[in-house]
Amino acid sequence: MSNLEKYNEAFMEVFQIGEDQLTDDLKYQSIETWDSVGHMMLMAALEEAFDIMMETDDILVFESYPKGKEILSNNYDVEF
Amino acid sequence: MTRLLENKNAVITGCNRGIGFATLKLFAEKGCNVWACVRCENKEFEKKAETIAKENNVWIKPVYFDLGNSEEIKAGIKQIRENKEKIDILVNNAGIEQQGGFFQMTPMAVFEKIFKINVFAQIEFSQYITKLMMRNKAGSVINLSSCAGIDMTGGYMAYSASKAAIISVTKTMASELINYGIRVNAIAPGIVETQMSRGLTDEARENTKNSSLMNRIGEPEEIAEAIAFLASDASSYMTGQVLRVDGGM
Ligand SMILES: NC(=O)c1ccc[n+]([C@@H]2O[C@H](COP(=O)([O-])OP(=O)(O)OC[C@H]3O[C@@H](n4cnc5c(N)ncnc54)[C@H](OP(=O)(O)O)[C@@H]3O)[C@@H](O)[C@H]2O)c1
Repeated sequence: MSNLEKYNEAFMEVFQIGEDQLTDDLKYQSIETWDSVGHMMLMAALEEAFDIMMETDDILVFESYPKGKEILSNNYDVEF
Repeated sequence: MTRLLENKNAVITGCNRGIGFATLKLFAEKGCNVWACVRCENKEFEKKAETIAKENNVWIKPVYFDLGNSEEIKAGIKQIRENKEKIDILVNNAGIEQQGGFFQMTPMAVFEKIFKINVFAQIEFSQYITKLMMRNKAGSVINLSSCAGIDMTGGYMAYSASKAAIISVTKTMASELINYGIRVNAIAPGIVETQMSRGLTDEARENTKNSSLMNRIGEPEEIAEAIAFLASDASSYMTGQVLRVDGGM
């Protein structure tokens, strides 16, 4: 599975959404399931998928689907 | 003995001695696998852990890190994650005491050191471990507070305040982590026969002992039993609570 597929799967599984919703408009609190509880579930899922430990600062600024990719590639060497 | 924790996996800190060691042993007897966290590498401990594991048909994996060092904590977490096993239970047991004395005569460095280990490190370690527990949508965290954090007599302000803080930490963690099916409770032991309580003045030991209805000091195994109860499904309707185990103080 490619890194992008892993990334997408974490979003779809945690937020119970389809691939069509994985756009640049997908942001924290833009859908019901991406609340603070869902946010931490997403972080846990990404940590597991990429075998990383995310810093609290990164968890805080992870505010959208595209921003997340940027954080993972800049700070955790995950290539998309 | 019932295998109350059969097929569960636990992370326990401060396993080298005292309440932590008694908990490690009891958990193994109850069928629980354990990542046994110890401050520094210790062959003698490894041997004891190996024997306990063999006798009880469970695995015990020693994990070495100093709670006062964030980098070491992270390395410890990495080691725990490598096993790719689910984590059902976290026991935040490791802690330090202070030498008694009026608060006005207690250097701020002592307050800082006690809070760093007894509070901040507990929070930091829990942040990482509970993130691993969340994926199972179940789990139990047990924090070691103390009756000193509730009754607060004079002479041990840094320690008492740190243990009072753990009660607040427990209640907040409970309300946030229930969203992921994780229960969080604290144990508040009275005085227990370990190296820690041997550091108290004779007068403090006597006073605490005499203020309990049972008129005696507790054994680490008696605290371990209460921890096992909170860790198990037998306490499935309990969260955010502080359980006193103090001989009736
Ligand atoms: N004994 C009592 O009367 C009593 C009463 C109320 C609450 N409690 C609480 O119960 C818990 C266990 O106490 P205990 O009586 O079993 O004490 P203990 O015999 O002094 O054991 C404390 C354990 O914590 C570990 N530890 C301390 N600092 C650490 C650090 N920086 N990094 C990693 N590990 C560290 C120690 O490791 P080393 O072996 O390497 O030193 C030791 O294994 C503590 O939280 C304590 O506050 C105890």
